[in-house]
Amino acid sequence: MIKFTRRTGLQGSLAAAALLAAPAIARGQARPSAARTVRAVMHGDIPTYDPIWTTANMTAYHGGMVYDTLFGIDANQQPQPQMVSRYGVSDDKLTYTFELRDGLRWHDGTAVTTADIVPSLKRWAARDGGGQHMMLRVKDIAAKDERTFSIALKEPYGLVLDVLAKTNSPLCFMMRKKEAETDPMQKIDQVVGSGPFILNLAETKPGTQYVYDRNPSYVPRSEPVSGISGGKVVKLDRVVIVNMPDAQTAVAALQAGEIDFYEVPPADFLGQLQSDPNIKIEVLNALGNVGQVRLNFLHPPFDNVKARQAMLYLVNQSDAMKATFGDSKYARTVSSYFGMGTPMENDANTDWFKGGRNVEKAKQLFKEAGYDGRPVVLMQATNIAVMSNTSQVLAQELRQAGINVKLEAMDWSNVVQRRSNKAAPDQGGWNIFITWSSGSAIGNPILLAAHAATGDKAWFGWPSDAKHEQLRDKWATAPSLDARKAVARELQQNAWDFVPQLYYGQWVQPAAMRKNIRGVIPVPEIIPWWNAEKV
Amino acid sequence: MARPDGIARTALAFARRHPTIAVGGALLLSMALVAAIAPWIAGDPRHMTPSDRLQAPSARYWFGTDSLGRDVFARTVHGARVSLAVGLSVAAASVAAGLAIGLVAGYYRRLDGWLMRPMDGLMAIPAILLAIALVSLNKASVGIVIAAIAVPEVPRVVRLVRAVVLTVRERPFVEAAVGSGSRGLKIVLRHILPSTVAPLIVQATYIMASAILVEAALSFLGAGVPPEIPTWGNMIASSRLFLARAPWTIFFPGACLALVILAVNLVGDGLRDRLDPRLARRM
Amino acid sequence: MAAYALRRLLSMLPVVGIVALFVFMLLHLAPGDPAAIIAGDNATPENIAQIRQRLGLDEPIWKQFLVWAASLAQGDLGRSMFWNESVATLIGQRAEPTIALACSTLVVAVAIALALGIVAAAKAGTGIDRLVMGIAVVGFSVPVFVTGYLLIFVFAIGLKWLPVQGYAPIADGVIPWLRHLVLPSAALGLAYVALIARITRATMLDVLAEDYMRTARAKGVAPVPMLLRHALKNAAVPIVTVIGIGVALLIGGVVITETVFNIPGIGRLVVDAISRRDYPIIQGVIILFSGVYVLLNLLVDLSYALFDPRIRY
Repeated sequence: MIKFTRRTGLQGSLAAAALLAAPAIARGQARPSAARTVRAVMHGDIPTYDPIWTTANMTAYHGGMVYDTLFGIDANQQPQPQMVSRYGVSDDKLTYTFELRDGLRWHDGTAVTTADIVPSLKRWAARDGGGQHMMLRVKDIAAKDERTFSIALKEPYGLVLDVLAKTNSPLCFMMRKKEAETDPMQKIDQVVGSGPFILNLAETKPGTQYVYDRNPSYVPRSEPVSGISGGKVVKLDRVVIVNMPDAQTAVAALQAGEIDFYEVPPADFLGQLQSDPNIKIEVLNALGNVGQVRLNFLHPPFDNVKARQAMLYLVNQSDAMKATFGDSKYARTVSSYFGMGTPMENDANTDWFKGGRNVEKAKQLFKEAGYDGRPVVLMQATNIAVMSNTSQVLAQELRQAGINVKLEAMDWSNVVQRRSNKAAPDQGGWNIFITWSSGSAIGNPILLAAHAATGDKAWFGWPSDAKHEQLRDKWATAPSLDARKAVARELQQNAWDFVPQLYYGQWVQPAAMRKNIRGVIPVPEIIPWWNAEKV
Repeated sequence: MARPDGIARTALAFARRHPTIAVGGALLLSMALVAAIAPWIAGDPRHMTPSDRLQAPSARYWFGTDSLGRDVFARTVHGARVSLAVGLSVAAASVAAGLAIGLVAGYYRRLDGWLMRPMDGLMAIPAILLAIALVSLNKASVGIVIAAIAVPEVPRVVRLVRAVVLTVRERPFVEAAVGSGSRGLKIVLRHILPSTVAPLIVQATYIMASAILVEAALSFLGAGVPPEIPTWGNMIASSRLFLARAPWTIFFPGACLALVILAVNLVGDGLRDRLDPRLARRM
Repeated sequence: MAAYALRRLLSMLPVVGIVALFVFMLLHLAPGDPAAIIAGDNATPENIAQIRQRLGLDEPIWKQFLVWAASLAQGDLGRSMFWNESVATLIGQRAEPTIALACSTLVVAVAIALALGIVAAAKAGTGIDRLVMGIAVVGFSVPVFVTGYLLIFVFAIGLKWLPVQGYAPIADGVIPWLRHLVLPSAALGLAYVALIARITRATMLDVLAEDYMRTARAKGVAPVPMLLRHALKNAAVPIVTVIGIGVALLIGGVVITETVFNIPGIGRLVVDAISRRDYPIIQGVIILFSGVYVLLNLLVDLSYALFDPRIRY
C-alpha cells in the first residue's frame, strides 16, 4: 500500500512538471496551436480501433500511439525494455521474469498492474502468429505481484523478447484488464491505453479524421529514442490522421501545406515533390515490402512442383516493378527467399534468378508438369494499384508461356474471401493471387503466417513441405544469430526447390513531408509520432 | 432502283433538313466503323511494354503510352468497342425491360400497383450507388457493368411507356378495337406498341449517352469493367494521376468520350425535334 | 392538399420497405466478407470463421434480415461493424458537407441553367443558341472527375486562388466555407447546368410555340417580360420535375466529387463502406438517400400547385 502511495505521489509531481513544461496543454480544452499540430495522411483509413482484433496496418498505427508495449525493437532490430524496468531469465532458460517500470498509467488515470498485463498477453497471443508459436511452448503466464509477472516455458525458446518487441501487426499492445478480457474474436468497446497519445473521440470522425492529443501524464523512459524503444517523448500537441484516399489530392494538399505528411506518395510524383523547396522525402521503412505471388498447391497445375518452378523462370520482376513504380530507385528485384537487406538474406539456390527470364525453360517445365491447357485463374484485386498492375503483367507473361490464363478482376475484399476457398478453380477456387508483406516480416520465418508450409493448416495456397517445417522449428530454437543465418540458408535452399511462393519485387515506400517536420522515427510497419516535431 | 448519285442526293437532302441527325449520325457511324475494324488498324490493346511507359505521342505510338507501357492508340480504338457496346447494350436492355413492364402496367390496371411499387423503390435508390454496389460486390465483368447501369434506368423507361399507354388506351381507335372484340395482347401489340416507338427511340439515345458516362464514373471509383479491357472510362480513370505529366493518356480517350456523347445527343435532339417534341422529353 | 401530402407520405413506406429488402438481399447474396477484412492479411481461416460467428453472419439470411428490419422499423439503423459508432451517428457526422455541397451546387446550377436555357430559347436558331447548347453538350460529356482535376490544376495549384481539397465547417466561418465549396460545386454543377439548360430551352420552345404565346406576341407584349411571366411560368412544371429527377444525378455526382476533393461527406462514407463490406452503413445510407429522394419528389409534386393553378390536389 505504502509503495503504491509513493508511486502515486511520484506520478503527481511528474505530471506537475509536465504541466509547467507545456502550459498550453495544462489548460486542457484550449485548442492546440497549429504550430504544434501535425496533419498526416497515411496509406489508408483506420478500419477499426482494436489492434488485436484486426491486423490491418492502419489500426496498428493507431495502436502505436494509444497503447504501449512491454518491449520494443531498437534501430538494430534488437528487443529493448519499454514498459518493463528489470527482467531476467532463469538459468535453465525456462522462466522469464519481468517487472513493470514506474509511472505507467492508463488514460483513465488508474495505474497499470500485472492484472492488466497478463490477460493482455493472452488475448494478443491468441491472435498473433508469433504469439501462437510462442504459446505452444508456454506453460504459464502468471502475476507474482502488482508489478512482477513471469512467463514459464515448457522448453527453451529464444524468441520470447523478439516477439514481445516486434512491430509487425498485431503488436503486443497492453490494454486494461477490462478490454484485455474481451474475447479475442470480438472487438473491444473502449480505447483506453497507456501510450503517449490519447484518442480524442470528441473531434474524431471515423473515416475522415482521427485526432490524437499528447498524453500529458505519460512518463517516458530516460534512454534516447531508438526504433520503438527508448523514451517516447512527445513534442507535438496533436496529431491528426486524415483519411485522403486520392493520391493526386493528397500530393496537392501536401504541396499547398494543407497537410504536413504523406506516407505513400506514388513513385510517379516523387520527382514533382522533390523539386518542391518545402517538401522532403524520407525513407522510414528501409526494408520496404516484398511482393508475393501465391500459388495454389491443391489444384493443377501448381500442385506439381515443376509448374511452380516454371514460375521462377517466367516472372520478370523488373517489368512488374516498372509497371507500378516506373524507373524509381526505390524498387528492386529480389532473389532471396527472405527478401533483400534483411538479416536472413542469402544467395542459396538462386541459379534460376541469375540466368534471367527464360520463357522456353518455363514452357518446358509446364509441359513436364503435364499442363493440359486448362484455365488458370488469376485473381486481380483492382482497387490496389500494385496488385492490379502486377496481375496484368503476370497474365501477359503466362500467356507468353502458352498458359490459358483467366484474369478475374474483383476488389480486394472479394479476393480475401475467395482465396480461402479450397475448391477447384472452376468451382469458386483459384490458382494464383498477388499480395505483399513487409520486408521485415518476410525476413522472419516464424512471424509471417505466409511462411508456413503446413498444408491444410498453412496460409492461403496451402503449401506443404515437411522439411520446410522442420527447418522453421530449427530456426526458432537456434541459439545465436549466426546459427539462425545458417538455418536460413538451408531453408532457402529447400524453398527455392519446392517453391511455396515466389516474389515479384521489393520496394521501399518513401514518405513525403513538409521540410519543417523533423524527427519522424524510421521503423518498419508503424509510424510513431513521438519524438517528431514541427519547427 | 435509285442510282448512286440519286442516293447521294437523297442523303444530302436529308442532311439539309436534319443537320443535327446527319452530323451526329455521321460521327457515330465513323466511330462504329473504327470500332469494327479495330483489330486490323491497331495493335494488341492489352500488350504491356513497361520500359516504354508514359511516352509522348510519336511515330511508333501515335497517341503515346500509358503508365503500364500500353499503346494508347490501340486502347482508344478498342475502347470504342466497349464504350459503344456498353452504351448500346444498356439502352437496348433497359428499353426492352422497361417496355415490357410498362406495357403490362399501363394496360392491365390490376397489375399496375404490383409492378409500379417495386419500380418506385428501384428508382429511389441512387443509380450510381446501386451500380457501384452491384459491380464491386461481384466479380468485375462487362456483363455486370451493363446490368448495373441498365437496372436503374428501367423504372424511368417504365414510367415513360406507362404514361404513353395510359394516354393511348383512351383514344378512339383503341376503344374501337376493344369494342370489336380484339384480345388484350393483340391490342397492346398492334395498337399501343407503335405509339411508344417514337418517344422510346429518343429515350434510348439519352440512355446510351448517360450509360457511357456512368461507365466512366464507375471506372473512376474502381467499380468498372476489368482493367485489362480498355474502355475510355477506365483509361481516363487509370491515368488520372498523370493528367499533368502525360496528358495524352487522358486527352485522347477524353476527347473520344466527349465526341461520342456529343454525337449521341445530337442524334437524340434531332430525333426528338422530328418525332414528337412533347413525348420525347425525358421523364 | 394536406390530405394528399399525408397520403403520399404513407405511400412512401412500402417504397422504403422495398428498397430495404432489395439492398439487404443485394449485399448479403453477393460475395465479399467483412470478417475476412477484419481478420486482416495474416489471419487463418479458423479466425475468420470465428469472427463471422461473433458478427452473426453465419445466421440464415432471412433471420439476419428480420433482425435488421425490426430495428429499422424502430428507426435504428444499426451499428458499424468496424467502428464503435451507430450508423446514425456516422451519417450525422458526415451530413453537413454533403448537404452544403448539394445545396450550393443546386442553387448555383439552377440559376445559371435557367438563364442559359431561356436565352437560348429566346434566341433559338441563332449563334448564341448554338453556343449555349454547344457548351451544354460539352458540359454534359466531360466526366465530373476530369472537370474536377482540371479545376484543381488551374485554380488551386496554378493560380493558388482556392484550396485544393477538404471542407471547412460553416461554424468556422462563412468565407473559408465558401472558398472550399467553389471548386467542387463548379465541377459537379457543370453537368447539372447542362442538363437543366437543355430541358429549359426545350420546354420554353414548346411553350413559345403554343397558341396563347403567339397571341401574346401578336398583342405586342415585350419579349423579356413575356418570356419570364408567361413562358417560364408555364414551363416551370417540367423544369421542376427535371430538377427533382436531377437530385438522383446530384447524389451520384456527390459521391464522385467528394472523392476528388476529399470532402468528408456521406458519399465517401458509403463508398468506403462498400469496399469494406460494412453492411449496416451501406444499408443505412442507401435507405437514407432513397428516403430523401422520395421526399424531394413529393415536394416537387406539391410545388406543381404553386406554378400551375390548374393543378389541384
